Amino acid sequence: MEIRPILSALLRNKTGPILVAVQVALSLGILANALHIVQVRQAVSARVSGIANEAEVFNLQVRRLKNGNHQEQLAAQHRETDTLRAVPGVTSVAITTQMPLSRSGNYTGLASDRRQLKSSVTTTTYVSPDSLIKTWGLQLVEGRDFLPGEIPEIDETTSEEFAKVAIVTRQLADKLWPGQSRYVGKTFFFGTGETARAVQVVGVIDKLQSPNAQIGERGEFSTLVPARLTGDDTSSYTLRAEPGQMDRVIKEAEAALRASSPTPVIVKTKTMNELRRDRYRADVALAWMLVTVSVLLLLITASGIVGMASLWVTQRRKQIGVRRALGARRVDILRYFVTENFMITSVGVAAGVVLALGLNQLLVSQLEMARLPAGYLIAGAAVFWALGVAAVYGPAWRAASISPATATRSA
Amino acid sequence: MFQYYFLLGLRSLRRNPALTALMVLTLAVGVAASVATLTILHVMSGDPIPHKSDRLFVPLVDNGPIEGYKPGDDRPDNQVSYRDAVNFLNSKAAERATAIYGTSVAVEPARKDMTVFISRGLGVGSDFFNMFDAPFLHGQPWSPADDKAGANVVVLGRKLAEKLYGGTDPVGQRITMSGQQYQIVGVLDTWTVVPRFHRIIGSSDGAFSDEDDMFIPFAAGIRNELPRNGSTTCTSDVPPGYQAFLDSECTWIQFWFETRSASDRPALQNYLDSYAAEQRKLGRLKRNAPNVLYDVREWLDFMKVVGNDSKLSAWLAFGFLVLCLVNTIGLLLAKFSVRAAEVGIRRALGASRREIFNQFLIETTVVGLVGGVLGLVLAFGALALIAMQSKALTVVAHMDWIMLLTTFAMAVLSAVLAGLLPTWRACQVTPALQLKSQ
Repeated sequence: MEIRPILSALLRNKTGPILVAVQVALSLGILANALHIVQVRQAVSARVSGIANEAEVFNLQVRRLKNGNHQEQLAAQHRETDTLRAVPGVTSVAITTQMPLSRSGNYTGLASDRRQLKSSVTTTTYVSPDSLIKTWGLQLVEGRDFLPGEIPEIDETTSEEFAKVAIVTRQLADKLWPGQSRYVGKTFFFGTGETARAVQVVGVIDKLQSPNAQIGERGEFSTLVPARLTGDDTSSYTLRAEPGQMDRVIKEAEAALRASSPTPVIVKTKTMNELRRDRYRADVALAWMLVTVSVLLLLITASGIVGMASLWVTQRRKQIGVRRALGARRVDILRYFVTENFMITSVGVAAGVVLALGLNQLLVSQLEMARLPAGYLIAGAAVFWALGVAAVYGPAWRAASISPATATRSA
Repeated sequence: MFQYYFLLGLRSLRRNPALTALMVLTLAVGVAASVATLTILHVMSGDPIPHKSDRLFVPLVDNGPIEGYKPGDDRPDNQVSYRDAVNFLNSKAAERATAIYGTSVAVEPARKDMTVFISRGLGVGSDFFNMFDAPFLHGQPWSPADDKAGANVVVLGRKLAEKLYGGTDPVGQRITMSGQQYQIVGVLDTWTVVPRFHRIIGSSDGAFSDEDDMFIPFAAGIRNELPRNGSTTCTSDVPPGYQAFLDSECTWIQFWFETRSASDRPALQNYLDSYAAEQRKLGRLKRNAPNVLYDVREWLDFMKVVGNDSKLSAWLAFGFLVLCLVNTIGLLLAKFSVRAAEVGIRRALGASRREIFNQFLIETTVVGLVGGVLGLVLAFGALALIAMQSKALTVVAHMDWIMLLTTFAMAVLSAVLAGLLPTWRACQVTPALQLKSQ
């Protein structure tokens, strides 16, 4: 074909083509990495918490100004639970010591053997006298929920008592006893050494994230423990409302609690959606910033290609006219410019792939980012080839439309 | 001649409007992106207390269990236990010292039109206010005697004071918090420290959190058993009860020393080492790990106050600026090449290459100036957008004079840099060839 003449023409006037190739390379290098990071963050923030239909679930905290003794606190908890259950539109109520994605919770080291010196895994513990499995719609894959007889009442200011049973997530069970298929009946330990408390697994749930929802398996190591705790002046409840009733239910639940309490209380609510939004705010913000930069990047590179191609067309009016007069068809002229651009873009894409890999290496080593999969490079290369052809098409068409007569006459 | 070239430059902006607009826009967008991210990085990595950042120290000892410990393992936490905090406070090892812990109280307003509400604050020593240059609007810190007694006194933040008492001076009045009466001894003025280095751990937004509502003596918080609001790390089981918790190795307190001069650091390090040795004799700190002091800058570094995401954004923005520059070079080449004939005539009429160079460079500078102004506007817009993302970002996303001037200088400099090659090419025009082809 006509690659040789195009190549020799390019080599004769290198500045412009080099500028375009550099632009393509830079854009591809940045774009591939940016979109990869966007995808990683998107995947992180789209992870499921384990709670079914999150939009129906919220957290409600009651802080009592006069807390009373153990018995009075137990009574208050029962009264508050009953009050909340009576609110129309509430389908389920449970006490919980913490919420997934709330970024504030407790973590404890676990051991699968009492002789262990170091804990084998860190878990987060959801303590509740009610059924979180029911309220949150957690999926039980093995065993059963807690029985009423398994739920101790513990005054944390005086008692060292602890529950005897627990429900764990599948990931946690697999970490404690790798390679097993059944976990119910197994015993593990909260803490290590003499004082470690033995707990027996009665159930395994498919999934429940920790309050911090850390990236990787650590965010999935959760334990449910049955107990009714007193000693804190704040009780935390989680409620499920009927679909679409959330706003009204929240308002009425707050009002009902205030009205039912004999002493002043402070009530705070947060929906699962709010918790999720706050947890992933930084990831979403970064993703948006990167998407914005990527779009601008493409626009600017496209404008650069259009600008340079237009310039070349203007510079070569005469030559195009001569070629046309000597019998070249429009499509030949069009093909010339598109081929030329394709060659320049290809050089840019090749350099861009190298640049993307280099940049990714830097991000991995300096900023703890993930490694770039090859798919992004291939997709990026395709995008820039397409962008190059699309951008050059306008100027090339204008070149092809040059009439041989006018082009040669002006000389 | 400069003035004339400048006017020519302004006029030529109009000559090729599409191309010029594209150039100005490219430059502006590139500059805005890098300035917006740079501003955030600049604020995040700023020294919050420049005149004494090398005299304030965080002491850390490793009180984790010896079981299963290998030398080189991490400390369980970056705070200290109550026992260590109290020992540090009693030691007089430095000029000033304070323990800090986060707490929250239920404020019961005297005004009948307000309901009870939760207020977050810190339990601190009386030295705290002088150590961190907290500005007082009314009153003063409580006395060291109040520290010792754990007296019920309180310093209010400006926001809380205004919420409760409007603009009046409440010093001397009493306020009911979590069922106890506290005497107000002072009110702080607006106190924004960025980054809020003195309490990074346990704040909801880390080093870029809001101001605190109130401050009470550390010992008062302990005596009244006010709840902890922050992060607590326990490596072993804690027996029930508040006293048992205080006696435990749980770490939940942020500690700061202030020395008289930066050169007192070795002395403080000596104190810390001998303290740890002494505690080891008592059967604690069995790991015998190195005891460390961090000054303010080291502490900010260690706590990774400038997140990787912020660095990533800044890097990408600069890559973007480079791309914009390359693009501008191309566009300028196009713009100048059309004017070869004009250069030919000027050269033929006696203008030296130097004159041509000056003319085109000044023209490029005009483009840079316009791009700079637009870039500044865009940067302000971008920062406003970023500030809307979260409260923490509102604190960091604002421009100071240094950044304003940097933006401008950067825009002009980029334009001039981008203009060098096209300008040089314009100078190479041979008058004879150009004139002949006319």
